[in-house]
Amino acid sequence: MKRLAIFLVALGLLSLWVPETWAISPEAQQKVVTAASKNLIEIGVSYRGDQIHFFGVNPCPGADLIIKLTAEKDEELKLSVKGRVGPFWMTVKQYDVKGAPFMYKIHATKPLKEIVSEETARDLELGYPSIRSKLKLHLARGAAAPDDEEKVFKGLLKIKEEANLYNVVEDPKRLEVAEGKLFKHYFRFPPAATEGRYLVESFCFINGELAAYGKDVVEIKKVGLEYWLTSTSQNQPVFFGVLAVLIAVGAGLLVGMIFRKGGHH
Amino acid sequence: MDIYLPIAGMSINFFLVIGIGGLVGFLSGLFGVGGGFLLTPLMMMIGIPPAVAAASDSNQIVAAASSGAFAHWRLGNVDFKMGLVILAGGITGGTIGVQLVKVLRAMGNFEFVMKVVYVLMLGLVGSAMFVESLRTIRRSRAAAADAGAPAVVATEGGLARLFSRLPLKMHFHRSGLHTSAIFPFSIGTTVGIMAALLGVGGGFIMVPAMIYIIGMPTIVAIGTDLFQIVLTSANVTLQQAFVNKTVDLLLALILLGGSTIGAQFGAMAGKRLKGEQIRILLAVIVLALTVKLFLDLVLTPADLVSLAPAKGGGH
Repeated sequence: MKRLAIFLVALGLLSLWVPETWAISPEAQQKVVTAASKNLIEIGVSYRGDQIHFFGVNPCPGADLIIKLTAEKDEELKLSVKGRVGPFWMTVKQYDVKGAPFMYKIHATKPLKEIVSEETARDLELGYPSIRSKLKLHLARGAAAPDDEEKVFKGLLKIKEEANLYNVVEDPKRLEVAEGKLFKHYFRFPPAATEGRYLVESFCFINGELAAYGKDVVEIKKVGLEYWLTSTSQNQPVFFGVLAVLIAVGAGLLVGMIFRKGGHH
Repeated sequence: MDIYLPIAGMSINFFLVIGIGGLVGFLSGLFGVGGGFLLTPLMMMIGIPPAVAAASDSNQIVAAASSGAFAHWRLGNVDFKMGLVILAGGITGGTIGVQLVKVLRAMGNFEFVMKVVYVLMLGLVGSAMFVESLRTIRRSRAAAADAGAPAVVATEGGLARLFSRLPLKMHFHRSGLHTSAIFPFSIGTTVGIMAALLGVGGGFIMVPAMIYIIGMPTIVAIGTDLFQIVLTSANVTLQQAFVNKTVDLLLALILLGGSTIGAQFGAMAGKRLKGEQIRILLAVIVLALTVKLFLDLVLTPADLVSLAPAKGGGH
């Protein structure tokens, strides 16, 4: 009886060990050794986005490579859908969207569907269809229509691609592999990429099977004045509001003194 | 040279922002109006989120109006009693307005409502100004006829008399008036709501209302208006910071820099032009902006799906 109990507990513990979300466990594969030109991006006053170069060694010569950049956390979004009301265009319904990565970029040596099966792509979240399958839409306001899911997903992609937060490039020129082994490429982080941790995962596939895996972490942080203004405005709004008014009054009076004339309001 | 705006969450060309501030400052120096009603739409056109544009503009107005208010106060042009009555309305309106912004943003229709109000307001003010200055130009061309007062003034005088008959009478020493507090309070409330919704000071509505409807002397109307603008905009800035967290102090300061310099040049240019020419020019600018905003409302938008702010913050 006691032995059975111990056995059951051990079995329970073991089941916790097995990652439930991934059918294929990337961590268990051979390691892709990678290096990034930097792992920290600082948003300062003159920040206009940044780019990071990545280098890596592919342990399986000749394998197909896919590199994925995602934000560590998924975003909870609210999307407004415009429609015609009389002669005007205005928001007529809204969807709460869960499960969309804040940022999502793919670099691959050839088209994803030539590298991996649909199933593997979904398991490893490679490609837009895999994102679409894990999105959860909830109608927050308005009347649903049958093509809404398609419309909202396309709209989301457009917003993200225009902000350069999403893109998928299936081109060996963008992901150079020297002699089948050494690869290099860069990811651009646009100004819209906010603070947070971002993962860059390198996957090597041989005949559609995951053969090696590597991971880098990039962190984006606001620093100095930008950090101070953002954190104060979000965490101490009362202090920030009073400060904004006092600075404005001070600046206004100072300017008035400099030009020795009244203001222009 | 790019600058990163922390609350708008975007990188933008520094000279573009200061240039827009300068342009609006120039126009406001030239026309003697605030220019908030030009600044907010222009900022939206360069991609600043509408709520951040309006809130930061209110912050900028505090700065731009304070030096003028101080100067008028020293000259004794501020009717504090009247100012406080209007201010009571302005603070009520501003507080309501900021809550309205919050609800509209959550519904995803803040931009729509803002543009509708802008179109109505600018359309009205623009056409009134256009017609009025055209009439003045024609009249001065027809040379000095007799000095008979135009019919407009008579009806406005009638309005002033009507409103002064309302209850809650008060004596306003500096303006030399004995009139009801109801109208000043309600116009204050209206302008307060507009200040929050549109990021404007509202001088172009308040000053004519004070002169023609309440019956205040022009110089006292201007001084008192500036006094209440500083405090109404300060209230809106505070509330936007508390409730919507959309005040971008960095953006406001750059705009202030640009508009201050622009205003000096505008005032110089203004001395070389005739009053009615200036007014007709302003009317044309205002009407052009109205048409642009109206087209935004009726033309099929490029993106039918857009991001709504999930919680506070400018994006």
